[in-house]
Amino acid sequence: MSPLVIAFLVLALLICGSALSMLWTKNLLHAALAMFLTMLGLAGLYVLAYADVLAVAHLLVYVGGVLILILFGIMLTNQTNQTNQTNQTDTASSKNHLMTRESSRLLPLSIGLSFFLGLFWLFTKGPWMNNLPVTGDSKLKEVGLGLLTEYAFPFELAGVFLLIALIGATFVAKNHD
Amino acid sequence: MTDIPVLYFLWVSAFLFATGLTILLLKKNTIFVLMGIELILNAANLNLVAFSKNDPSMQGLYLSLFVLVVGVCEMAIALAIILQVYRNYRAIDVDQFKSEF
Repeated sequence: MSPLVIAFLVLALLICGSALSMLWTKNLLHAALAMFLTMLGLAGLYVLAYADVLAVAHLLVYVGGVLILILFGIMLTNQTNQTNQTNQTDTASSKNHLMTRESSRLLPLSIGLSFFLGLFWLFTKGPWMNNLPVTGDSKLKEVGLGLLTEYAFPFELAGVFLLIALIGATFVAKNHD
Repeated sequence: MTDIPVLYFLWVSAFLFATGLTILLLKKNTIFVLMGIELILNAANLNLVAFSKNDPSMQGLYLSLFVLVVGVCEMAIALAIILQVYRNYRAIDVDQFKSEF
């Protein structure tokens, strides 16, 4: 096995394992940490698919931005519900014990499993040539040039969109009393 | 240097999509549901990146950059809305309140 394939397998195991633990746990903080690991592995996979621009952007945005945003969301909506009040005697140890509720497991798990099997079958038996190797090299220069020439308008539009969304988010999150 | 077949990326992306969908259906906390949506977005992104590498015009890579931006906007606004919902109702579980219509 070539080292690239081994690196791919390690990263895929990291992604699948942390996604599964995100599914399994009921603790919101543990899920946020598992999502962090998933995003790290995904950035590695982007590098292996020769999309290093996207990998760096992904790391900056998800690990640096979205995860902090989620942690702030968890912190600001931290509710002391029944599950926390039952063991309120040891508050210091139960502060990070943010248990969330779940619906019954059977239906979502079977739907998810059937989706996975269906997609797996579709991708494996699909009519397109799916055994092409991922070829090429880092296309950093081409992507930079393309974003400033051919895709300049969508790029600027995305920037304005981001600005509008962030201003809107701060306005919505403001205390309107 | 031997390269990785596209199919492997598709398998990982199928797994991520199914896990995200299951989280979306299983969990009741809204922040958890948002994390599931993020997993689904990233599965789609991985597909775009994997396919765009055999495409000399790299359109999938550009599209995935814009998907990233839109995903971040969605996350910021959704968390702001969750914050307001929590301020008004002191709860963020998706089945906490029934619609009156």
